Amino acid sequence: MPDIEVAETTTQVAQPKEKLFSKKNKRTLSDPLSDNNPITLQVLGICSALAVTVQFNTALVMSLAVIAVLALSNVTISLMRNMIPSKIRIIVELAVVATLVVLVDQVLKAYLYDISKRLSVFVGLIITNCIILGRAEAFALQNKPWPSLLDGLGNGMGYAAILLIVATGREILGSGSFFGIQLVPDSFYAAGYENMGLMVLSPGAFILLGLIVWGQRMISKKFEDN
Amino acid sequence: MHKNSYVFIFASVVTITCSILLASAASLLRDRQQENIALDKQKNILSSAGLIKSSEEEVTRQEILSLYDANISSQVVDTTGMVMENKKVENIDPKKDRHLLPVYLYQKDGSVKSYIIPISGKGLWSTIYGYLALEPDLNTVRGITFYQHGETPGLGGEIVKDWFTSNFVGKRIISPEGKLVSITVIKGKVAGRIPDSESYHYVDGISGSTLTGNGLTNFLKKDLERYEPYFETLRNKEME
Repeated sequence: MPDIEVAETTTQVAQPKEKLFSKKNKRTLSDPLSDNNPITLQVLGICSALAVTVQFNTALVMSLAVIAVLALSNVTISLMRNMIPSKIRIIVELAVVATLVVLVDQVLKAYLYDISKRLSVFVGLIITNCIILGRAEAFALQNKPWPSLLDGLGNGMGYAAILLIVATGREILGSGSFFGIQLVPDSFYAAGYENMGLMVLSPGAFILLGLIVWGQRMISKKFEDN
Repeated sequence: MHKNSYVFIFASVVTITCSILLASAASLLRDRQQENIALDKQKNILSSAGLIKSSEEEVTRQEILSLYDANISSQVVDTTGMVMENKKVENIDPKKDRHLLPVYLYQKDGSVKSYIIPISGKGLWSTIYGYLALEPDLNTVRGITFYQHGETPGLGGEIVKDWFTSNFVGKRIISPEGKLVSITVIKGKVAGRIPDSESYHYVDGISGSTLTGNGLTNFLKKDLERYEPYFETLRNKEME
């Protein structure tokens, strides 16, 4: 009991009437986009990043689904943060996340049936995406709804950014198209150009992802020293 | 620390709220989802008959409906091969009316271009649903599609892809002696494993999903056997 009280009061003191877009809140939103990207720095959510990035439009829908689930789950959990008994907090978080994911899945089935078929199980697997439970545990449980929303949006967009970069690379190199529109002209194929089969398969995503991580750490100069 | 009773009450409230949300979403969206599923079936019937190039192609709602209305008709037959004039495909319940079988006909200029039958059965993890279209000789495969399954994406899930389904086109279900042999999905490639004289009863398997292939082989044969009496009467009619 005393521990919680202390934690409560300290957070109260730490945030005396903050502005909606204070410096701290802006960082909450922008950090996960680059410096603390969930995929490239925290290396979370790799499974779906490999699976749905063969084409740009599936990656886009998947990204939107993850952003929606992440933002809503963060807000919901943050609203309940003082009520959730710590003994069952993980299962409560999972229940919230699972409910949101099933809702998203149902909406996709009703309005974007073709894409939902192509995403197959991966929408359902958002439940097990470490980013979502990770943000609920690490951020939403300790913070107010507004910063939690920003954190959810930021992390969702950080995830989306990487997904879309990988998908762009894979679709152009692997299928010679972008957003379903053919980019490589027929004359190239006639001249002997061939799509890179590797890019359609998961190893292609791994290689691209590796290159992105390398590039980013070169720029940000943030890496672990031994 | 919270009391145990609080934990129980909290858990119940969360559970009930979540279930109410999900139940209402499911029932609100059901109509639209059913419509999508029905449309997807029509699209797959069209695609198995070759009226749409590939089941992965983007086709608008209107195109599917107008193509379907213009070309496809349906009838009900029973397992002895009789056409049931007074029954409609929409009204038969596959669970109850096990002796009634739906057939879809692709007709053009007054003659039947293709007979399309629904196929379904167990793969590895799930029940696979699809359509098989036969040429008017009721022997050569015109096309096959799968529209619902829960197989592993990237392995068994590849059955929906064109590279797999196109292997079936031109294969035959009847041996030269006139017996139903169906089509077998083998492990590995047909070329080199199966003598050329029999290769038209076999298709290449998908590496890593032998069990999905075996399941497919089994239910394809089982479904074709149920339709065989009907097909046989049609073949005999053709001969006369």
